[in-house]
Amino acid sequence: MPILLCRVDDRLIHGQVVVGWGARTGLDYVAVVDDELARSEWEQDLYRAGLSESVEDRFLSVAEAVELVPQWVQNAERGFILTRDIGTMRRLAEHGVLADIEVNLGGLHDAPGRRRILPYLFLSADDRRELERLRRVHPHVTAQDVPSARRVGLDDLLQSRSG
Amino acid sequence: MLALSPLVRLRILLRSLAIQGSWNYQTMQGAGIGFALIPVLARLHRRDPASLAESLKRHTRFYNGHPYLATVAIAAVARMESEQAQAEEIERFKSAIVSPLGSIGDRLVWARWRPLCSLLGLTLFLAGAPWWVASAAFLALYNAVHLALRVWGLHLGWREGRDVGRALMGSPLRRLPDRLTIPLAAVAGALLPLLALGLGGPSGAGSLSVIGIALVLAVVGAWRPAVAGRLAVLVPLVGSLVVMALGSSIG
Repeated sequence: MPILLCRVDDRLIHGQVVVGWGARTGLDYVAVVDDELARSEWEQDLYRAGLSESVEDRFLSVAEAVELVPQWVQNAERGFILTRDIGTMRRLAEHGVLADIEVNLGGLHDAPGRRRILPYLFLSADDRRELERLRRVHPHVTAQDVPSARRVGLDDLLQSRSG
Repeated sequence: MLALSPLVRLRILLRSLAIQGSWNYQTMQGAGIGFALIPVLARLHRRDPASLAESLKRHTRFYNGHPYLATVAIAAVARMESEQAQAEEIERFKSAIVSPLGSIGDRLVWARWRPLCSLLGLTLFLAGAPWWVASAAFLALYNAVHLALRVWGLHLGWREGRDVGRALMGSPLRRLPDRLTIPLAAVAGALLPLLALGLGGPSGAGSLSVIGIALVLAVVGAWRPAVAGRLAVLVPLVGSLVVMALGSSIG
């Protein structure tokens, strides 16, 4: 399967993703889908400097991803798709980019207006709305920060009222 | 733009040592970053306590990077603040800078430098140095590089500001971990079996010659990884196992 991981994580490229999920899989590329980041050179430089030289970085807007990802899925390269928010992943799902690939909620951290659901997952009212919309078009969504951790299903996440 | 005097640099550096002092799951190193930025923020908002409070609030939010390289982020944020960059841009910078600092710091410090220093300290001890000499040597060597990284980061972050990513990409520190892989493997291959046995006794000379070979291979490995390759790991490992076997048959 050419897309090895499809993840929502506000840290985008970082150790947990590249080492935790990438080390044993033979990773060819990491594609970051984010409309603002796709236009921001200095930010791309920062994320690029965090990747090892053997992994190719690709920064795309949602429109570019809609066009390119279905082509990548056809070839043998192995890659990750990362977004920093649920909304962007929901838009990819709505355009049918994700096919039946499971969406992994890997890290949304504390920010004003967000409440703790799991140690690595804090959701605002907006995030919850986006999650509901994502689920309607793409039911395969779970939360898991590292490969060795327990996977949490979407129903458990949305019912959780812990603060 | 604000000038960063040596005194302010020193204060930031000292404060950066407490970067994980109030680590927590919610904001991680957030409070540490804010604490280290105070010397700069206090100067920028000298006449306006309310805006100082507001900016400090922003800078104690979630942050989690490599502790030794936090000075890169702190100094670059200080530079952006002093140039009155947009708060939103600074937020984006802070979330992006975590990625290269974590990647460089994890590979360089946790995966290479610390094990290498530990091995050298252990060797000293088993070669007969008193425990406190071996421990002090380990701490001095390890922290010389640790502190140098903090000072280097402070200068780099301040000089490059928002565009520090490009400088990090070209930095030798990014390639250094790969260069250290073979030396570390060679030294570990030679030392681990010998350390298990101890360096004294009838096999002492044999042990020392294996360590000598390992060091030569380590140096070759650092410069020409392709030439040294697996040889650098296997030769010292096999050599030290042979010495061990001979040592135990003599003893």
